Amino acid sequence: MAINRRNFFKLAAAGSTALAVGKAHADDSGLTVDCSDNYGVLVDTAVCIGCRRCELACDQEHTKSGRPPESFDDKSVYEKHRRPNKDAFTVVNEFADPAKPDDKYTMKVQCMHCNDPACASACLVGALRKDAAGPVVYEEWRCIGCRYCMVACPFQIPTYEYDKALEPRVRKCTFCYERITEEGQMPACVAICPNEALTFGTRQRLLEVAHYRIKSHPERYVDHVYGEKEAGGTSWMYLAPAEFAHTELPRLDHSAIPTLTETIQHGIFKSFLPPLALYGLLGLIMHSTREKKDRSEESSNHD
Amino acid sequence: MKRILLTCLVLGALTLMLAPLTSLGQRPMSAHPELDHVDLDCSSCHSCEEPTIQEPCLKACPRHAAMQKTGQHQLSEAPDTIMLAEIADQFQPVRFNHKLHAEMAEMGQDCATCHHYSPEDEIPPCKECHGGEANPTNLRQPSLKGAYHRQCLSCHREWSHDTKCVVCHLPAEGSGVVAMGYDSTDIIGISHPVITEPEKKVYHTPYEEGPVVTFYHKEHIELFDLRCVDCHQEENCSYCHDLQKPAQLAKSQEEVHAMCNNCHLNDACSKCHDTKERPGFTHASTGWELGRYHQGLDCRACHPTGKRISRLSNDCVACHGGWNQENFDHAVTGLRLDELHQMMECEDCHVDLQFTQTPDCTGCHDDGRTAEFAPPGDWINE
Ligand code: SF4
Ligand code: SF4
Repeated sequence: MAINRRNFFKLAAAGSTALAVGKAHADDSGLTVDCSDNYGVLVDTAVCIGCRRCELACDQEHTKSGRPPESFDDKSVYEKHRRPNKDAFTVVNEFADPAKPDDKYTMKVQCMHCNDPACASACLVGALRKDAAGPVVYEEWRCIGCRYCMVACPFQIPTYEYDKALEPRVRKCTFCYERITEEGQMPACVAICPNEALTFGTRQRLLEVAHYRIKSHPERYVDHVYGEKEAGGTSWMYLAPAEFAHTELPRLDHSAIPTLTETIQHGIFKSFLPPLALYGLLGLIMHSTREKKDRSEESSNHD
Repeated sequence: MKRILLTCLVLGALTLMLAPLTSLGQRPMSAHPELDHVDLDCSSCHSCEEPTIQEPCLKACPRHAAMQKTGQHQLSEAPDTIMLAEIADQFQPVRFNHKLHAEMAEMGQDCATCHHYSPEDEIPPCKECHGGEANPTNLRQPSLKGAYHRQCLSCHREWSHDTKCVVCHLPAEGSGVVAMGYDSTDIIGISHPVITEPEKKVYHTPYEEGPVVTFYHKEHIELFDLRCVDCHQEENCSYCHDLQKPAQLAKSQEEVHAMCNNCHLNDACSKCHDTKERPGFTHASTGWELGRYHQGLDCRACHPTGKRISRLSNDCVACHGGWNQENFDHAVTGLRLDELHQMMECEDCHVDLQFTQTPDCTGCHDDGRTAEFAPPGDWINE
């Protein structure tokens, strides 16, 4: 059967019909949503050759920084550790296990598109949201520029257009939202990757693939799929030939960052609870004082 | 009524029993319960959309069996070169030298280095299993693009530290892709630690009239400005790096002659073959010994053209025709001319511009002086 890009998605969704974030689910992440049908990407750093085509594709698709294509052939950039920024939503960095400094491997970094994103949780106006398809989407018309998301993100991904006086935006990887949801294509970086170090699919299938690779090549990978559990799970996940501690991916707890803070916050603010509670509380106090007064009056009358 | 009920029951039971046979296409795993634990879809093993028991249309690569051997195959069974032309709109077809790479594979796991999952009797081409696009129901299997790149780049990257597309892909015309500035067949030139070439090689050949060939390897490279690939064409890493098979270094007579014939096609046997070992090249053997002015020069300073070094005329003006009394500093000869003589034309002393002959003073001086005893300036010590 010939498979074109369009029916890739029909097929990928077959058998797992509902692409919904809202499914009830409980595991040790403390997450209340099931993201197994969300789209994600598995980054296999053992297969990545550090060619930087993904950076090129992202620049042409999104940031359009005007850097010439040949500039992405330059490998000297690996001498310095780079971070994603407003002009480059993804960057490739080089790492090595300090015990084996010659065995270099390369790793692409970008927004992880967390299952339960701290950035979205921190956003006061809902400018960031986890879409049912997987991407954590930013809507600039809602954004008030408070940059709480930048503080909240455990991966330090969102960056800001400080150089823009008018309508500066928060910038981060979009997971090629339009491409994958409307155009039925893979993200630009995944499509260009010559070695297919990036695999696009539903989170559940990616996890199957990841564990299969670890099982069939134990000599090639550490037994850890980064992003499976970290921060409550992420849409982008990583395989690596050496401990993730050598990379820039932070060591994180398995529970979702926002779960704790949100339970309290959202509990209070849910369905206009604060005003109601306030009035209720005031009413209660009034009521009880009146009762006391009544009772004391009553008792005094009895005396 | 009872009979109707019974018929219905029997029919129902039959349908249930036949169901697994008829629905093979839709429910592949129920057709192969033994494969339930593997992440496979129909297209991993079957080439048609609805395989049946009668016509299973099995591919030659049963992945679950993962046969990591290719049986006995000869290199000659495979094509020497394969053209990969899947993305002809951006790049010219890649000319993949299968023979050269297969020879190197002998250092690894033979054919299975690249042709994994091959049945005993057949080596299927990559295309047979790897489709043009990633397969969403079998994310474990890379597409053809991924499969090719992983095979090529895992080694190429190791030796060249280079992942530029243009190393293998020549840009298609009008694609806007910039061509690479170097020759991709020149492996050593692209990235290789410096190789110290042998000074001299003496070959003893079966050619009776001239059994000895003395080949000054280093001198040849320097004289003719050669790159390794200019002579060592179609050679691969295993020629030097396969320590198991040093015999491979011994080339056949045809192969050796082919190397030399790149330049010496029209030369007689005696150009190389002799009865005894020959001395290396000296300029005197050409009939013109280099004097003190020319000794320190690079060959290219006088013989600039190509790989062929042409014979030059012995006549000084053939090269130095542009010199006159104004732009020539006579002091380089060791004799700084005095003011008076500096004004004179070269021919006034050097009759017929024969600079190797003794200069003639009689044109002006009739006292019988010679330049030796009454120099027209000062001799300067170097
Ligand atoms: S395009 Fe693929 S192989 Fe190249 S650097 Fe990016 S992830 Fe690695
Ligand atoms: S990685 Fe950071 S920016 Fe991306 S979804 Fe997670 S919290 Fe938000």
